[in-house]
Amino acid sequence: MFIAMKPHATQAEFEAVVDKIRALGLTPHPITGTERKVVAVIGPTTGLDPDDLFGTMTGVAEALRVSQPFKLVSREVKEEDTVIDVGGVPLGGKAIAIMAGPCSVESRDQILEAAHAVKKAGATFLRGGAFKPRTSPYEFQGLREEGLKLLAEAREQTGLRVVTEVKDTETLPMVADYADVLQIGARNMQNYSLLEKVGAIDKPILLKRGLSATIREWLMAAEYIVSKGNFKVALCERGIRTFETMTRNTLDINAVPVLKSLTHLPVVVDPSHGIGLRPHVPAIARAAIAAGADGLIIEVHPHPEKALSDGHQSLTPAEFEELMKQARVIAGAIGRPILAR
Amino acid sequence: MLVVMKPHATRVEIDAVVEKVRSMGLAAHPIPGAQRVAIGVTGNKVGLDPGQFETMPGVADAIRVSQPFKLVSREVKEEDTVLDVGGVPLGGGEIAIMAGPCSVESKEQILEVAHAVKAAGARFLRGGAFKPRTSPYEFQGLAEEGLRLLALAREETGLKVVTEVMDVETLPMVSDYADVLQIGARNMQNYSLLKQLGSVRKPILLKRGPSATLKEWLMAAEYIVSRGNYQVALCERGIRTFETMTRNTLDLNAVPVLKALTHLPVMVDPSHGIGLRAHVAAMARAGIAAGADGIIVEVHPRPDQALSDGQQSLTPVEFEDLMKQVRVIAGAVGRRV
Repeated sequence: MFIAMKPHATQAEFEAVVDKIRALGLTPHPITGTERKVVAVIGPTTGLDPDDLFGTMTGVAEALRVSQPFKLVSREVKEEDTVIDVGGVPLGGKAIAIMAGPCSVESRDQILEAAHAVKKAGATFLRGGAFKPRTSPYEFQGLREEGLKLLAEAREQTGLRVVTEVKDTETLPMVADYADVLQIGARNMQNYSLLEKVGAIDKPILLKRGLSATIREWLMAAEYIVSKGNFKVALCERGIRTFETMTRNTLDINAVPVLKSLTHLPVVVDPSHGIGLRPHVPAIARAAIAAGADGLIIEVHPHPEKALSDGHQSLTPAEFEELMKQARVIAGAIGRPILAR
Repeated sequence: MLVVMKPHATRVEIDAVVEKVRSMGLAAHPIPGAQRVAIGVTGNKVGLDPGQFETMPGVADAIRVSQPFKLVSREVKEEDTVLDVGGVPLGGGEIAIMAGPCSVESKEQILEVAHAVKAAGARFLRGGAFKPRTSPYEFQGLAEEGLRLLALAREETGLKVVTEVMDVETLPMVSDYADVLQIGARNMQNYSLLKQLGSVRKPILLKRGPSATLKEWLMAAEYIVSRGNYQVALCERGIRTFETMTRNTLDLNAVPVLKALTHLPVMVDPSHGIGLRAHVAAMARAGIAAGADGIIVEVHPRPDQALSDGQQSLTPVEFEDLMKQVRVIAGAVGRRV
């Protein structure tokens, strides 16, 4: 259920609504839009008539039931696009955000070289994993805190915002200390204990789609985070598991326009994992922007052939620069700028 | 095996290679390219010795084709294939636009759509006369009457007609009316039908099966081409996945991968690919941005009254708007509509 206040409703009228929700044993979630204030009501609302309870209160424009199982992330509850403020850099909104960097932080030289290169080409966010959820336990698992320190150093040198994955609740405080955006990887999309924890901190979250998660399950995972109080969530489509074997995953670009209509959260696309083949990353990155994505996250490595992970899908800095040119042209064609610093 | 002739090889030298291939009990497929002729060799059970061709006059090279699909592969023919549909190109620099209703329903309906999509910039009219519907109780199409109406729409508008052929029995009839024969997703591996298409002189639009891998799809195209019909275009129309919010999952990964593997034109069907009218335009833009050679879009004058696929059909006004968006994206990737 959600209650939309009239544009000029007073603070007292708004608080009366919040008090009444609490009196019913339910939880109010105030959401401030540019046009009007909305209060989402979370809890057992079955059997309650929204209009009966709130429709006649002064200052209330309308009280409605949310038809979707996801509530706080739905466009029904908040019409305007959410723009996440990442230390002064917007994620979401009209300008397209570009995140780029290596799969894993491997060394000081590697991450600094990658950071300067992607910044020069126009990225505003640096990606890089310090804790890596690798399929095989025998493969490179990341530099852990040493990797986080190197990411922080790259941020200091370049001003790029750092996006890095947090794998578990144990390391969450440490990763949150260094990161600007916490990435929840595809394999953790339904790790509800982790989702609840990141819902209780004040950090932007990049929630990747699970490999076999439907769009609805994915939005419910985002709802887990938002319902705990952290509204700074962006979604990232990174390809799903299908029968096709020629590509690493099947990038579900359908998800972009569908999500943009269902949710106010920003939608980012990962073409690197989505196709998994270096020569084809630019084509599918162009397609994502044309479909309406709010950002791209791309793997770039100074020497892909020597990468400790994902070398086959990482672009060289020169290839990334070329991709950025193409991305700007497509973004321009649909009337959107690429976010610049 | 592929026997590549020298740029200035003579007719006699080419014929000599073809003769030698045939004398070995194998099939020879001469493929003219912009620079030189290549001769595809198929039918061998084991690898051939390149040496027996390399020494022949006019031969530049004899190479094994590493892919299981041979004649459709870029290894065999480097240049993009451009189909000639009665003077209208399909493939090459120009983006082909095919539009029209799912099914031909009446004279008024098909003529209204044909004029509308032509005005918006389409050069091909789609419309089904034989419909492979999931339920046997649903509208199955107007059959030959539908084909006559498509021919009438072609006469009035000059649009080229793309329509589905469902079986070997109706192939001669549908060929009489159609400019492009569409093989629907459910028939992608109907090998008896594919073999027959190899001997007709009509361009083929081969849709991807709902659960066909790219390799299986290219092998299906190879069935047609290996029987002598090189006029084949591929059409990605979405695959079956676990996602239920969209009708299919449009696999746009397929576009750059196919463009690298094959010289055949690659079309995208955003209407079936997402199945939701509101989002067709976004996916059409994405298809072009990924490098597709054209799109096929369902348009109906009154989608709410359509006998099939109304939920994914655009109105003529929506299609006109989509065409504007497509032109802008095509321009951005250096192509024209």
